[in-house]
Amino acid sequence: MPPSPPPPDDPGIKLREHTYDGIQEYDQRLPNWWLYTLYGAIVFWVVYWFAHMLSGLATTDGAQVDAAMTRIAAAKMASSIDVSNDGKFWEMSRNPVFVEAGKQTFQSNCVPCHLPSMRGKSENPAAVGPDLTDTAWIHGGTPKEIYVTVSKGVPTKGMLSWEPVLGQKKTVEVVAYLLSHHQPGETITVQLSN
Amino acid sequence: MTHGQKTTIEFNDKIVRQFMLASLIWGVVGMLVGVLIATQLNFWQANFGQAWLSFGRLRPLHTNAVIFAFVGNMMFAGIYYSTQRLVKARLASDFLSQLHFWGWQLIIVAAAITLPLGLTRGKEYAELIWPIDIAVAVIWVVFAVNFFWTLARRHEKSLYVAIWFYIATIITVAMLYIVNHLSIPTSLTHSYPIFGGVQDGLVQWWYGHNAVAFFLTTPILGIMYYFLPKAAERPVYSYRLSVIHFWSLVFLYIWAGPHHLLNTALPNWLQLLGMTFSLMLWAPSWGGMLNGLLTLRGAWGKLRTDPVIKFFAAGVTFYGMATFEGPLLSIKSVNALAHYTDWIIAHVHAGALGWNGFMAAGMFYWLVPRLWNKPLHSTALANLHFWIGLTGILLYVSAMWASGITQGLMLNATAEGGTILKYPNFLETINAIRPLMLLRVVGGGLYLAGFLIMGWNVWRSIRGAAAVNGRMEVYVEAPVPGETLGAGSTFLNAPVVFTVLVLLGSCVWMFTSGVLNIIGLVATMFCVLLAIGHFESRGKAWADWYDKLLVSALPFTVLTFLAVVIGGLIQIIPMITIDRRLQTEDRVARTYTPLELAGRDLYIREGCYNCHSQMIRTLVPDVMRYGDYSRLGESIWDHPFQWGSKRTGPDLARVGGKYNEAWHYDHLENPRNISTGSNMPAYTWLMQQNTDYASLSAKIRVQRMLGVPFPSWSPAMIDTLAKEQAKDIAKELKTQGRYVDPDREVVAVIAYLQSLGKTWEPTGAPAAQP
Repeated sequence: MPPSPPPPDDPGIKLREHTYDGIQEYDQRLPNWWLYTLYGAIVFWVVYWFAHMLSGLATTDGAQVDAAMTRIAAAKMASSIDVSNDGKFWEMSRNPVFVEAGKQTFQSNCVPCHLPSMRGKSENPAAVGPDLTDTAWIHGGTPKEIYVTVSKGVPTKGMLSWEPVLGQKKTVEVVAYLLSHHQPGETITVQLSN
Repeated sequence: MTHGQKTTIEFNDKIVRQFMLASLIWGVVGMLVGVLIATQLNFWQANFGQAWLSFGRLRPLHTNAVIFAFVGNMMFAGIYYSTQRLVKARLASDFLSQLHFWGWQLIIVAAAITLPLGLTRGKEYAELIWPIDIAVAVIWVVFAVNFFWTLARRHEKSLYVAIWFYIATIITVAMLYIVNHLSIPTSLTHSYPIFGGVQDGLVQWWYGHNAVAFFLTTPILGIMYYFLPKAAERPVYSYRLSVIHFWSLVFLYIWAGPHHLLNTALPNWLQLLGMTFSLMLWAPSWGGMLNGLLTLRGAWGKLRTDPVIKFFAAGVTFYGMATFEGPLLSIKSVNALAHYTDWIIAHVHAGALGWNGFMAAGMFYWLVPRLWNKPLHSTALANLHFWIGLTGILLYVSAMWASGITQGLMLNATAEGGTILKYPNFLETINAIRPLMLLRVVGGGLYLAGFLIMGWNVWRSIRGAAAVNGRMEVYVEAPVPGETLGAGSTFLNAPVVFTVLVLLGSCVWMFTSGVLNIIGLVATMFCVLLAIGHFESRGKAWADWYDKLLVSALPFTVLTFLAVVIGGLIQIIPMITIDRRLQTEDRVARTYTPLELAGRDLYIREGCYNCHSQMIRTLVPDVMRYGDYSRLGESIWDHPFQWGSKRTGPDLARVGGKYNEAWHYDHLENPRNISTGSNMPAYTWLMQQNTDYASLSAKIRVQRMLGVPFPSWSPAMIDTLAKEQAKDIAKELKTQGRYVDPDREVVAVIAYLQSLGKTWEPTGAPAAQP
């Protein structure tokens, strides 16, 4: 048998008579903070359930997300850049701030297919993406056509749709970086790839 | 008290020794696999190019080994040792005990062979294929029979709190395991679960969460209630707390399963139940911690000298920590950050390493000298084990906290006024946590080292020692008529009647509207007040009834079963009785083509779900990253569901059509071909093995049986359809410069991946009802 136990906090607390294989049990009352935690959680359940399921005030999670996405779309439209103006793109491609920003984005997203040199298949035939420095284009070589290719992608050829990922500003910067390797008015040939 | 005839019984301690040593051995195996797969997260090459060593196949082996082999064997050792002494009876049957032991070890060996082979059901902690599932159920019943038969032969009439927890464990695990493993076989090694989509998800996490509750928690609490006061030589802190926390714990735990599916397509009422019941569970869980820690009051001096007390005190503290963290993670907004990240990994390992592992160690160090009648070889080594293990856990858990929160914040971060993601490339978030994932390997390695030290210490202690079996003198007393509860007094008494009334009232309040709703609320409050009043004036009658319940094993078991069954019934019955077509929201999936189905089964075989979810949550960052949030109808025909629980890679719910076939081919061949810095394994074997077309007709037949609306194709038709689609994809790959035999598995996997998010049709119903 263990040595007789020291008295519990409250001398009125009794040790239960029954022992189990020598194990004894006090019968102390439950700590107040513990009880209040339990009661508090029960009250929270009642209030939360009422607010979300019964009051009719709560909107569904899906509706909340839809509303938030609509706001985001509106914000994007409000700050959208005019991408139909070829002259503007050429202007950007001669601005070092734009080009440098575009280069950063290109390095972190585009090099797996187009290679750091931008020369893609011309440098290494096993590369996924075509050469972006020559004057031969597959999906059109004017600035706004290049923008559409980057922005919407060409899924069947493995080119991703980048604007949802990068946002419009970064997409435009990448196009400016591409154009910085070209001259306005250079001869463009459009050829289909095999 | 009248004393009957005195006899001496010898306990069956051989079975305890067997289970204890098995637990030690499987513990090492389970942890070793854990360290290996943790290493693979930083160094993908650590699978040595072998399919059977790849992460997706070994992660299920790790979880199953730790839960069922390590903790399972430890639990059986603890339960068999303490039960015999607490009820003063030798285990009822030596044969059943041995059948239990060898059956369980055989199951573990079968699991260790089948899981690396890719034979799996594709549901977490329920991966074992159907023949092994049946064996588990049978052996569990053997355990139950052996246990309850022993109770029936007991010389100690009153059941101690440890026994309550054992009873709850045995009946609840049986219920959970059987329901979640209901399947229809398509072959000897493959089956489909009978539930699909959201029903399967709900049943899976009802099981998954309560496997944690009733396999990793309640039996260990029972073990704590026996071994901790024994080692501390102190009375248990409070009997009253035992009563309240036992009943509230077993009743509330079952309801909390849906907190694994927060912010998903799971209906909102279930998400709310999951969250609020998890919060209510906090206090009952801490009741167990309090009863453990406060029992040590007056014995803290032993903390310095006795490694057993060290392990128990730390184990119970980790239990308190993990059960505070659980409710915290169940709050929807916290979950939005933490779910799918390493924070959850931190949480479960605080439980598994801190609570289960340390309670096991404390118990083993206490048992060894008593089972072999020889002092422990080295107390110093046991102390070393403690400090190494503790350092290991703290490193592991803090690394995973930091990792989970870092990745969660990065995934949710936006830029440019919240219009785009700040880190659109998922890999950026993985590469940011690589050092933390490495620290986890160090922490886990230290913990394993500590465990090996225990193995050595135990080996040195028992080598050459003679095994001894405990003995006890007992008095055989004649049964006293009217001592136990009959059927009537089991149910018709104040505590049970008031509980039922309050439950009924609150269910009426929760699930009705209008006048009925107000009646429910008023009735609930009235019953609560009445119960309080009755308890204040007739408290003695409540206590007397409970004393009587404690000598009535069958009524106790029945009431426990009722307490654990209610939550599951209320949550699951509505979901499986309503026609699936009514649970589709605004879109319903078309069935897979035969080739897509073959690819899906390969996706499951490779354990892709261990790292990729297929569930875009109703959260803005999820929608920005992966597309429109997932609807119930899109996965409604999925047997098993593949919503996932961890995103070591990105969500795949809408990956179909996002990339071309060549992208997938290159990526599966070696992910680093395309995704620089990826830690995904290279699936070269998919390029070498042939798709199993032959099994498709049996699979589709079973799916039709389960209610999936496949057309009634003939086997020949299925074969032709699958091969034609494979040829089309191979042709497409050819135009993209990749030459592959259409019959290779990679083609089927690409077919499946390209179908994800593409296979639904609008139903015309509104998107979501309030």
